[in-house]
Amino acid sequence: MAEIVAAFGVPHTPNFPALVAKQGPDCRTAQLFAKVANCLHDASPDVLVIYTDDHFNTFFLDNFPTFAIGIADQISGPNDQTAMPSYRVAGAASLASHVRARAVADGFDLSLVQEFDLDHSIMVPLHFLTPDMQIPIVPLFINGLAPPLPSSQRCYALGRAVGDAIDDWPADKRVAVIGSGSFSLEIGGPKIPPGERAGTPDPQWAKRVQDHLEHGRVGDLVEEATAARLARAGNIGGELLNWIAMLGVVGDRKPTFIAPEVEHGHAYAAWRLD
Amino acid sequence: MSIYAVNKLCREALRDAAFRAALKRDPQAAIAPLSLTEEERAALLNGDVAWLYERGAHPFLLAYLTRWELFGLTVSLYSERIRTAREPAHAE
Repeated sequence: MAEIVAAFGVPHTPNFPALVAKQGPDCRTAQLFAKVANCLHDASPDVLVIYTDDHFNTFFLDNFPTFAIGIADQISGPNDQTAMPSYRVAGAASLASHVRARAVADGFDLSLVQEFDLDHSIMVPLHFLTPDMQIPIVPLFINGLAPPLPSSQRCYALGRAVGDAIDDWPADKRVAVIGSGSFSLEIGGPKIPPGERAGTPDPQWAKRVQDHLEHGRVGDLVEEATAARLARAGNIGGELLNWIAMLGVVGDRKPTFIAPEVEHGHAYAAWRLD
Repeated sequence: MSIYAVNKLCREALRDAAFRAALKRDPQAAIAPLSLTEEERAALLNGDVAWLYERGAHPFLLAYLTRWELFGLTVSLYSERIRTAREPAHAE
């Protein structure tokens, strides 16, 4: 049977690859990703299950799933003109098929997508965490951007169901789970600062999320992350749902590493679970 | 629900360089074939992003317009206008 060995949470800000290319490996962003990457390599996973919110690139509003799973042998990205290298990464199609079947049986009706590419929300984390793209991935998409969003309770339950599915995947593989995104971020909406196109409207919420994560208070986090609360954190605040789904395999365990960047509305975190 | 056409226009501006160039060159002609109400057409041509936001245009997509200053929308002008917008009906 497969084993869940670690979980991680990271932001996916699209200008990070260009920023780090310019500022070098000693800059804060590079260092924080390097810490998470070290934890990931220590856990030596064979597969990465990644929760993300597509930004109208893999999908569009003509056909926009609340929950979807990508099942493919090869996946490319980024598909949204992010200033970063183009990559191809293997898809872990057998695990993805297994997770889909188990999740649907458990009442989580995942949409199926088999011919797709990915935007910065997965490719930026992979660029920093597994730049040689040697670890196959299972992308799980959660609508975090186009209200009405799924509830935090529903996303946490999905994360638990996916964890159960990984646990009984009949393969001798080590699996890590990643949640990608911000806790407070507004892009192009009324909460942006004067003269800017994006901002962090609710650093206090980012701090509170970080405190809950640090102390393993997943129940409090899920309870407080209502639709209204996420909306106050900004129009990209729904990305917290990717973290909450990831926490489905973590429960109330405390992280082995966590670094907040409250002023930017996000954090970096790692959990060892084996 | 032709606000969908506004969202799609923003996405096509990102993905289709020829459409983007047409929007830059002659915005009125470039949006003429699209299924928009006259109010939506006027709001786009006036760069009235607050009006579009209040009717459901997605801000993540609207903000693409500033990348190429389409419809005259510099970042500072976009910010000034969107900050006056009320929340659309679907928001909490």
